[in-house]
Amino acid sequence: MYGAGVAFQPTSSAGGSSKEKKRRDEDDEEEEDDNEGKGTDAWERAYADERSWEDLQEDESGLLRPIDTKTLVHAQYRKRLLLRSSTGGSVASRIQKGLIRYFYIVIDLSRAASETDYRPSRMAVVAKQAEAFIREFFDQNPLSHVGLVTMKDGLAHRLTEIGGSPEAQIKALMGKLECCGEASLQNALELVHGYLSQIPSYGHREVLILSSALTTCDPGDVMETVQRCKRAKIRCSVIGLSAEVFICKHLCEETGGTYTVALNESHFKELLLEHAPPPPAIAEYAAANLIKMGFPQRGAEGVVSICSCHKEAKVGGGYTCPRCKVRVCELPTECRTCGLTLVSSPHLARSYHHLFPVAPFDEVSPHGRPGQRLPTTCFGCQQSFVGQGGAQPSLRTSCPKCNQFFCIDCDIYIHESLHNCPGCESQHNSSV
Amino acid sequence: MKLEVEGLTVYFPYESIYPEQVEYMRELKRALDAGGHALLEMPTGTGKTAALLSLIVSYSIHKNFKFKLLYCTRTVHEMEKTLAELRLLASHLPTPTSLLALGLSSRKNLCVNPHVLSAQSRDSVDAACRRLTASWVRSLAHDSPQVPTCPFFESYDRAASAGPDALLLPPGVYTLGDLRSFGRSKGWCPYFLARQMIRYANVVVYSYQYLLDPKVATIISKEMQKECVVVFDEAHNIDNVCIEALSVSIRKQTLEGATRNLTQMSQEIERLKATDAGRLRAEYNRLVDGLAQRGNLAITDAWLGNPALPDDILKEAVPGNIRRAEHFLSVLRRLVQYLKSRLLTEKVETENPVNFCAAINSQAGIDQKMLKFCYDRLHSLMLTLEITNTDEFMHIQTVCDFATLVSTYARGFSIIIEPYDERMPTIPDPVLQLSCHDASLAIKPVFDRFQSVIITSGTLSPIDLYPRLLNFSPVISRSFTMSLTRDCICPMVLTRGSDQLPVSTKFDMRSDPGVVRNYGRLLLEMVAAVPDGIVCFFVSYSYMDGIVNSWNEMGILQDVMQHKLVFIETQDVVKTTLALDNYRKACDCGRGAVFFSVARGKVAEGIDFDRHYGRLVIMFGVPFQYTLSRILLARLEYLRETFQIKEGDFLTFDALRQAAQCVGRVIRSKADYGMMIFADKRYSRHDKRSKLPGWILSHLHDAHLNLSTDMALHIAREFLRRMAQPYDKTGCGSKKTLLSEEDVMKMSEGAMDTY
Repeated sequence: MYGAGVAFQPTSSAGGSSKEKKRRDEDDEEEEDDNEGKGTDAWERAYADERSWEDLQEDESGLLRPIDTKTLVHAQYRKRLLLRSSTGGSVASRIQKGLIRYFYIVIDLSRAASETDYRPSRMAVVAKQAEAFIREFFDQNPLSHVGLVTMKDGLAHRLTEIGGSPEAQIKALMGKLECCGEASLQNALELVHGYLSQIPSYGHREVLILSSALTTCDPGDVMETVQRCKRAKIRCSVIGLSAEVFICKHLCEETGGTYTVALNESHFKELLLEHAPPPPAIAEYAAANLIKMGFPQRGAEGVVSICSCHKEAKVGGGYTCPRCKVRVCELPTECRTCGLTLVSSPHLARSYHHLFPVAPFDEVSPHGRPGQRLPTTCFGCQQSFVGQGGAQPSLRTSCPKCNQFFCIDCDIYIHESLHNCPGCESQHNSSV
Repeated sequence: MKLEVEGLTVYFPYESIYPEQVEYMRELKRALDAGGHALLEMPTGTGKTAALLSLIVSYSIHKNFKFKLLYCTRTVHEMEKTLAELRLLASHLPTPTSLLALGLSSRKNLCVNPHVLSAQSRDSVDAACRRLTASWVRSLAHDSPQVPTCPFFESYDRAASAGPDALLLPPGVYTLGDLRSFGRSKGWCPYFLARQMIRYANVVVYSYQYLLDPKVATIISKEMQKECVVVFDEAHNIDNVCIEALSVSIRKQTLEGATRNLTQMSQEIERLKATDAGRLRAEYNRLVDGLAQRGNLAITDAWLGNPALPDDILKEAVPGNIRRAEHFLSVLRRLVQYLKSRLLTEKVETENPVNFCAAINSQAGIDQKMLKFCYDRLHSLMLTLEITNTDEFMHIQTVCDFATLVSTYARGFSIIIEPYDERMPTIPDPVLQLSCHDASLAIKPVFDRFQSVIITSGTLSPIDLYPRLLNFSPVISRSFTMSLTRDCICPMVLTRGSDQLPVSTKFDMRSDPGVVRNYGRLLLEMVAAVPDGIVCFFVSYSYMDGIVNSWNEMGILQDVMQHKLVFIETQDVVKTTLALDNYRKACDCGRGAVFFSVARGKVAEGIDFDRHYGRLVIMFGVPFQYTLSRILLARLEYLRETFQIKEGDFLTFDALRQAAQCVGRVIRSKADYGMMIFADKRYSRHDKRSKLPGWILSHLHDAHLNLSTDMALHIAREFLRRMAQPYDKTGCGSKKTLLSEEDVMKMSEGAMDTY
């Protein structure tokens, strides 16, 4: 029989937040009468969530070894890279991407978000990862805008206006964490639809729903709302935290979004970050049109001026709109007075690489083709491919254009951060 | 694609094929080669129908259409699905083949005459049709044009009489809808056209009754030649169909109706005597000559045949004392009177047919031979009297049915008279039942007559019991498992509630509040963790009513409603259909829903809960039959004495096939996924569990055999997360589950090498 599991709980790792500790104390008190608890005993969690045995595998001689996570990660990375380049069309044909994104994140704060299958709770995990995502998002899409919407008590509520500042969004999100009631997909979609239908046509309208709930409690026919979103060209994506829900799948299929379900926290993070790079442009918007933009100057230090976004006097910093000379605090944004899109040139430059991605490198077998001599060092970091002491040679790749060889770490760095191939760039220079 | 199965070229309508389909075809071909019967179990969702049709049709092409395929389905819906599959196959056949396939159903489904179709039930449609097409009506109409006839039948008749062997229907595949529209465009009656065309068709799809019920089979399937291949699809309940075909039950209303019919008939006879005595005399003479029926009946006059099996019908002249119409009617009156007196009993009586006939003989003065001829004599009389509204004469037909059956069979039957329903002793509802216990009786002529009979279904486990129940020896009997790219079914046996106490619907435990609460808790946990639709099956209506009431009082139902809407199956078909519609709607729009249903009910048998309509099915308890039922007891006794099948074995077998049938509703294709929870401690016992079909057992891990609620919940959560991940449909490496043409070639070559 499983006695009161509370007796041997102190080994629990997660460095008890005050909240969890409080809950444990409650458990202690209710030990007798709360036998039908929802499977939250500490011993059970330790087994259920950590699953430490899964990190081990048996090798050919019967010894237990930790799974070689590094090669696993590399393999995953390669797979993702190839997938990305194949879905984004062939490398040769230049695809358009929606660089100016108007992105609403809908956070589910219904009753289901208080469940503790993610620790400490689904809500806390969602908030934490959403914060990381917002930063990453602005890093990759400096020209884009994000807004937050929450669902609770059967209603949808706009937490923040759509805007270009990560800090403001994160601050607003962290202040509002409590969950109760039902989630309503329809209300959330209607709300977002109302806001997104006003934005200019060059912007890409996207919604990402982080859904904990398995049910949606709607006032009307949600199918109609899905169709309206489809007509308004709003790309809806959903990340579920527990299981596949038909209506979410339907929504994503109809509007061209993606639907994924997280297995655990790290998987959730991965899925969330997949939404950071800009998606391919929708065909109807593919026609190129010109957008008026202003490049404001940074205000001089020590000048007092009234800022248009906060409606108060501020000292120093800030930017001045080139058209109407009003002061704004942060870039990128839209001028409150004249409606001009205000950006800085680094923003544009940082968005540029999405349009010309580095082609995925070909994998090269460590031994090479017969009769071909391979260089022994990586072109990028100059480290030897042959590991110390005759260890298994690590994976290497070569750029299809310049045929230089790179180690896998450099490969990751080039594709994820640098966005330029050092081999090609140096060739270019030498030819000039 | 085309593939070779042991030297036979098989045309398959899809680009790729599952490995188990290839296996299935191979076994099927062996059975056909051997010219014997086969018993094949293959899980639903693996393309059983497609494999069956492709192989048999290809085989028949190979043999130059020497035999035809009789494909029996349970419902019209399944018939349509089969024909659609067949049409797809027909488009992949080599061009010069002329395949003619059609579905045959009752007039209600085939009639195109708006006047006839306005009738409500099947019987009244039949009667309305007869009123327009009976031979005497038509001859009357010939003389006086104001008598209404059916224009569709008339033009069909002209076309048919122009050339009796002229192929009226061009080759192709005809669903019921196609037949109707073809009939409409040509102005021909689709029903009689179909009846005519089944002689020439290569594939006929119709209902079980057309072969198993002797009343219908003698009319429809009489002319089928021996070289037919008969397929019974979804045949897990075939023994019950056989039994029902030979069972009759008589209630008070039946007898009252029969009395009314008799009065009506005697009036008719009086009238006829006055106007056209010659007709009665002609009938008498015919009966003297030993012809129970009027020689060659027109196709429209043919009516339900004799309820007894063709081999058992006496080929003698009708006994003298019922040859005259008045005498026959008085015999029937005495019979009805006697049955009425038997219904007045206050206690349950069980008798065997021999004693019953003796009692009739001594008390009503009707001997066995007269009883035996009752049905044919009635039939003849009704033809003579030219009665067309046959639906009103159902009651007297039932009585004659009963009389003929009870006097023909001395073994395998019993007569049970119950003054009230066991479960509602206060309401008098006397019923006299002639129940057949031997499923092999009805199906025996089918096995004897046709070369190959294929019995197939998703659940035929344990497969060795069916040959004993139906009393035949299959040349092939095999159970196939499903090859899956991922473990998309997750059966679990839940034995304990969240308080670790055992749960069961055993009689002494079922009303225990602890068990009820534990079941409620299980449901509550599951509705919070499982998306979209959940289906719950209970062992009986009364148990479901009881437990739902208790849940309501405990407040569990209210908590469930916070997560999902609750729908309940009732005995009313219309209400249940409405509930199902709304259940589907709730699943579609994301609100989520739970459907409470009953094993052995309509929903458990015919409704699919695939995809999001059923992510989880919970089987509360083991669905044993109501073991105090007299009919069941009598049948068990018979099975023990005749086939040496132990009572317990049969009951377990029957309960488990129902359970398997219920949980099998959630998975209808390989891309689908679903969980099954067997919530009763008895499922963990080997004798129960081992009777589940192989494809469920192979996914039932040892770790899932003895779960409590919280463990089941954890497994469910993990499973749902895993299943929501994208996956590769074709499978890879050794787990290849979708074979292309080359793969099959390679496989057969590999098989060659090993031999």
